[in-house]
Amino acid sequence: MEPVRHHADQEINKPAKLKVERKTSKIKKRKGWIPGLLLLVPILLFIFGFFIVPMLYILYLSFISTDNLNSADAVYSLKNYIELFTDSYYLSSLSLTVKISFYSVIVALLLGYPIALTMAKSSPRVRGYITLLIASPLLVSIVVRNFGWYLLLLPNGTINQLLINLGIINTPLKLLFSELGVVIGLSNAYLPFMVLAIVTSLYNIDPSLEKAGAILGASPLRSFFSITLPLSLPGVVSGCVLVFSLSMSAYVTPALMGGANVPVMPVVLYDQINNLLKWTFGSALSYVLLATTLLLVLVFTRSIEKSKFKEVFR
Amino acid sequence: MNALGKLRVSLAVIGIIYILIPLIVVIPASFTSANFPSFPAEGFSLQWYSKILERPEFMEAFFNSVQFAFLAAFFSVLFGTLGAIGIAKYEIPGKAYITSILTAPLSVPQLVLGIALLVYFTPLLLSGTSTGFLIAHIIICIPYVIRLVLTGLSGFDYNLERAAAILGANPIVVFWKVTLPLIRPAIISGGLFAFLTSFDNVTVSLFMISPEMRTLPIEIFSTMQDAYNPIVASVSTVVILISVILIIILEKLQGVGNVFGGSNHTSG
Repeated sequence: MEPVRHHADQEINKPAKLKVERKTSKIKKRKGWIPGLLLLVPILLFIFGFFIVPMLYILYLSFISTDNLNSADAVYSLKNYIELFTDSYYLSSLSLTVKISFYSVIVALLLGYPIALTMAKSSPRVRGYITLLIASPLLVSIVVRNFGWYLLLLPNGTINQLLINLGIINTPLKLLFSELGVVIGLSNAYLPFMVLAIVTSLYNIDPSLEKAGAILGASPLRSFFSITLPLSLPGVVSGCVLVFSLSMSAYVTPALMGGANVPVMPVVLYDQINNLLKWTFGSALSYVLLATTLLLVLVFTRSIEKSKFKEVFR
Repeated sequence: MNALGKLRVSLAVIGIIYILIPLIVVIPASFTSANFPSFPAEGFSLQWYSKILERPEFMEAFFNSVQFAFLAAFFSVLFGTLGAIGIAKYEIPGKAYITSILTAPLSVPQLVLGIALLVYFTPLLLSGTSTGFLIAHIIICIPYVIRLVLTGLSGFDYNLERAAAILGANPIVVFWKVTLPLIRPAIISGGLFAFLTSFDNVTVSLFMISPEMRTLPIEIFSTMQDAYNPIVASVSTVVILISVILIIILEKLQGVGNVFGGSNHTSG
């Protein structure tokens, strides 16, 4: 009888105990959030004052018709946006940016997927080493990484010499100051993000699924295309989105690897703001660049999520 | 390993080489004896290292970079740690929104952020000043500090603080003797990461510099745009060396990969 009664006592006591606990925790919470907010005051003020307000300020400026903000003809208008969308120079710059970002995504995806797959199939130790190898370059300045490519892509640089010695080409290819150079620079800079995004979704795949596939007679290739690849699509999508958005707004790499030959939007934008001091027009360009990126990302993710693999995104 | 596995591994090796190769070629190129940068280097000399010392603008830019990176790391760690403790420890309404506001500077392209700050700072007379430069760098460092310190606090046992308080420690002593030592690795990682982010930054800095005040990556950037000079290789090697040392410490403390997991880091 003893144990039973003990058990019953516990059962009776439990709800009461819980109630008491809940009460105290409620009191603690109510008392608790004011000091928490006080700790957050400096950082929140900082972010509001020097990030949110400036971002809203240039949105406001983009609707002002002249760059002299004090002049009488500084009125609200859509002039900047109209000028932007009627001038073929800006439109072709925008489409060039989209094209180059698209190619960068493709290169990063093709080179990144095998790395991610190898990481997912490695021991945690090897995985750690690969993560260190691919993520560390992100912490070295982009100018240094671009300089490395410059050495490789020069007309008499390593890659051209190699191709000539192998007899593949006779005259050096124009790799530097070309769209190809920019695509190489961008895909190189953002490839680690692609790998890290894909590998996260590969880790989440239940290994027994592949085993089940093998038992049912699927070849490794078949099991890759019907199990691993579709289930890794969320990672692929977020990797592509990341690399695309970063490429759309990259300035340093196009400026160094493409120069005046590849006038992508960020290069044009920098010129408008820093050299021509066209602030209101530049502000409008900034928001058009942001909006274009967001729109394309949205169209891309929606169309993938509605594809035959839509189950994966649930 | 089957043929498919071998193919996968060799493709992965190619990909990893593609990521690393631009950094690998810079180092030998810095020892060239020629007057133009090349890989493989022609001859061997240390002349381009001694030339760094002869170019005061590089030395000055280097000290500027270190100074700003140190200050940016200090302030972003100070604000970021307080903020992260505020989020992790207290039941603040709208916690998730606050966290996303604090990490929002990561999702705006650095180019746009640089433009916004330049345009905003000019009427405030902050553009081209060291204060303006520092503020811009703190903004880009804060999200990383927040993320790293929040990760450090995620397994934190608040009973330890309670125990110290019961034993008579006042809140300051509790923070100094209990909380801080326990999250120290996360705070140091945040600081190192902030230091490197600021030290290496080009895009935002381009809008914040003045002719009198430049940083090392900016100096490399403009030297590369004007004339390709082997001095860029030797300065870059110094930058790589500094980064590698800090990355090794960072890896020991927190793991480099963790910092970028699911992030929206913007550079370039």
